[in-house]
Amino acid sequence: MYADTQNDITRQVVRAAQLLLAYGAESDLVEEISQRLGQALGLASVELSISSNSLVLTSLVHGRCITTTRRIREHGINMTIVCELQRICLLAEKGLYGPNEVRKRLARIEPKTYPPVLVVLMIGLSCASFCHLFNGDLSACVITFFASAVGMLVRLTITKHHFNLLVNFATTAFVISMIAQTGYVFSLSETPQSAMAASVLMLVPGFPMINAISDMVKGHMNVGISRWGHATLLTVSSVIGITIAMQLGGIFL
Amino acid sequence: MMELLNMLLHDAFFSAIPAVGFAMVFNVPKRFLPYCALAGAIGHSSRTLMLEFGLPIEWATFVAAALVGMITIGFARRHLAPPSMYAVAAIIPMIPGTYAFNTVIALVQLTAQSQVSQELTGQVISNGLKTVFILGALAVGLALPSLLYFRTRPVIR
Repeated sequence: MYADTQNDITRQVVRAAQLLLAYGAESDLVEEISQRLGQALGLASVELSISSNSLVLTSLVHGRCITTTRRIREHGINMTIVCELQRICLLAEKGLYGPNEVRKRLARIEPKTYPPVLVVLMIGLSCASFCHLFNGDLSACVITFFASAVGMLVRLTITKHHFNLLVNFATTAFVISMIAQTGYVFSLSETPQSAMAASVLMLVPGFPMINAISDMVKGHMNVGISRWGHATLLTVSSVIGITIAMQLGGIFL
Repeated sequence: MMELLNMLLHDAFFSAIPAVGFAMVFNVPKRFLPYCALAGAIGHSSRTLMLEFGLPIEWATFVAAALVGMITIGFARRHLAPPSMYAVAAIIPMIPGTYAFNTVIALVQLTAQSQVSQELTGQVISNGLKTVFILGALAVGLALPSLLYFRTRPVIR
């Protein structure tokens, strides 16, 4: 293999790893996919070192090493892209894809999302069914639906303007709690506390938390701890939003 | 018996909705959404069944998560997609959100007070421990198939 071929293949592999990390795959999957993709494209071995916001990758072939570093910026979770990269890796492994096809398909990857209206409706319904599972009555479920649907709308709007995620979560939590506590303030519902608890559940960073623990369990300690810290910060900032809303509503402290 | 079955079906239906909702937030492709719903319904209703038999919530969550892990590996091998795609949406209904928020709200209340109150400290500790242990049970339960069975080979080939 020529040096520039190795260079090219290494670039494809590191691009795949970078995309996987940016769109929220766990470290073990990133390592597995990039090693399999590299070996399928003809590298002898691929070694990765992942840290909280960057990635170092070394490819080895014929006793020649290429090491390259990439910065990772979080883009939110997008499983469509992770799925697509897994598919590319499998196709390359079966010999259907060579470096050229992999490059073309990697260049075509774009984050597709569901239409906002649909997501807002579904999140409202989801939180309403959480409220139902917590034994809330019908009016509590209705309040939860509106609170979390409006909250999701706020969250998507703020995300579009590229604010810091912590600011986003605090503002969203504030809006949600302001709406959800109408159950208390105007005594619309018999079980107002279940509406309060269920409507903020859309802000629980479930994916980062699960990723954090499974990274730590599988031996990627530093990535796991940094993800855990991020998830904790997100929870704390949404609690700050909730606290401000509750103090304004006068039902707390 | 009929009542129990009714309750489980009811539980399964109302946990399938959040599984789909959050799968859409994570941008799971449309053709996989029904499988997320199925895995979420099975996971949460099996946990409810175990809680009904008096198992502590941590162990019930662990077993339910292991069940979800096995089911989703089956789906993943059939569709050649990463198993965590189904699994994370499926366990969202089991995430200890209320415990987590109670912990941090009690913490904020502790900060606002001039002296340490016994009751609030107790709330922080008990809710915090529940949160950490349920989350741990979820993550380790999900990873169980790859820890026990797929030790040296990849899940999808």
